[in-house]
Amino acid sequence: MVDVRRVRGGSGLDEINDELDQILDSVVENTRNATEAFFASYDKNPDPQILADWLTPRAWREIDYVFLLNEQIRRYGLAFERKHITLLAKQSFQEAEHYEMVGQAIESLGGKVPTSAPPEARPWSEFLWECLERHPLAAIAAWNCSETSASGSFEPTFRAGARHGFDEVVRIYKQIETDEKFHVGLGRQVLAAYAKTDKDRDEILRAMRGMRDIAWKTFTPESVSQARAG
Amino acid sequence: MTQISSMTTFNPQSGGKASQLFDMTVAELRLVADGVIAIELAAPDGGDLPSWEPGAHIDVLLPNGLVRQYSLCGDPSLRDRWRIAVLREPSSRGGSSWLHDQLQEGQRIAVAAPRNNFRVVESERYLFVAGGIGITPILPMVRSVAAKGKQWTLLYGGRSRRSMAFLEEIEGFQGGASHIIPQDEFGLLDLDSFLGEHQPDTVVYCCGPTPLIEAVEQRCRNWRQGALHLERFAPSEKAKTREKGSFEVELARSGRRIVVPPHRSILDVLEENGCKVTNSCRAGICGTCLVKVLSGVPDHHDDVLSLDEQAAGDAMLVCVSRAKSDRLVLDL
Repeated sequence: MVDVRRVRGGSGLDEINDELDQILDSVVENTRNATEAFFASYDKNPDPQILADWLTPRAWREIDYVFLLNEQIRRYGLAFERKHITLLAKQSFQEAEHYEMVGQAIESLGGKVPTSAPPEARPWSEFLWECLERHPLAAIAAWNCSETSASGSFEPTFRAGARHGFDEVVRIYKQIETDEKFHVGLGRQVLAAYAKTDKDRDEILRAMRGMRDIAWKTFTPESVSQARAG
Repeated sequence: MTQISSMTTFNPQSGGKASQLFDMTVAELRLVADGVIAIELAAPDGGDLPSWEPGAHIDVLLPNGLVRQYSLCGDPSLRDRWRIAVLREPSSRGGSSWLHDQLQEGQRIAVAAPRNNFRVVESERYLFVAGGIGITPILPMVRSVAAKGKQWTLLYGGRSRRSMAFLEEIEGFQGGASHIIPQDEFGLLDLDSFLGEHQPDTVVYCCGPTPLIEAVEQRCRNWRQGALHLERFAPSEKAKTREKGSFEVELARSGRRIVVPPHRSILDVLEENGCKVTNSCRAGICGTCLVKVLSGVPDHHDDVLSLDEQAAGDAMLVCVSRAKSDRLVLDL
């Protein structure tokens, strides 16, 4: 099994790799637990609309990544190697495809595809954009943490899909799972390639820690309940 | 045991992981037919080597930078020796000619652990067809099925009796029928007599020059699927006729062969030929297009396999990586 966190491309993270891995392991575990809890709740009331609501902040993440990545390239991209500009743009395109795919899944379940940040996704979105303002690598660190967190949701989603027969959602997330390996590896490579100073590393750690505390929350059953109540 | 950079030392408990590269000693060199030398390889400390099964081959990494594949043709039960046999190719580009002219007993040489994509399947009866140096993978197969008391027939052709290796060994195999057919005495192999009629309980193993392979393929066209097993010892499209920087990829599950030109990726060419491989970045980062390598030496260009994994050579990312050898056999 290839470990994309071990991608080569620079030594800028060498001093903080262990801490980054701890943060990422933690957020993956929290997301897995949140997803397990959501589907345990869903097992008791398998209403497709609830699943659509659970997917709604995920759809927003996809399109918000598109906006963010393009802004990242516009503001900071020319300080990167050309191949990284190309790969960030490729990631952006894949995120747009994911927004399309998750959007179709939401509609097939009777939900509505978000065209503005849903309330439950706002803390996540606001933190991401705040990172972009702070430092050229901070937003990349934040979305790298967020993208990594999603990997904790896949297996519980696939198992629930087998129980409840939402095959199309599973098919879509299998594709997203493949692409997210790329996004996680790319983020790590970009951070390792361009982090040069302690300030860079401090900003990366700040962004990762901040996202660690946010990324998993929209996977919980409580997040869906609050969204539906709101 | 000497450990060479990016190589591993022997570890019999490893089961001879296909990827390992070993520093071997040339224990014996012997002329076994006109233009054919048998090379016995041993561990420098004389210890056991990883086990192998009939049909296996090893990659030999020559000091001149070339990599060549040779079938193991010894007895798998002899754990302290591997034997290969090498025909001096008239058009050698430095592989067989180097082994014939430069290699000495006692010399060290690097080889990869055995890999096998020409395994012997279970069957009631076996028909083996070998042409020239194509006897090398067939020899241990015959030994193996003879030892199991299976019914077997060997059809072995060559230019002349003097050019045909291992005839004495073949005489010692019990229980089957060996047909030794030197061309200067008897003409070409009478394939129609042996293959003209489909025999449902028989599997056919063939190794030899391309015309022989094609003739056997043609006669087995109406045999049941899976009855015919082939190993070519030359790329189907000769390397010297291909564009520099190109190489051949064989898809092991179908036997299809495709040529990868110098400025295109394996993944692109696979897709163009209808072979779907999971992928995402196409840049050597995500690892999703990882494919098992059954034969040949990959030229890694990815950013994500560890250096140990790259040195092992048993898997590669087909989006960016290429080949150091003329041919790769992929588990596709």
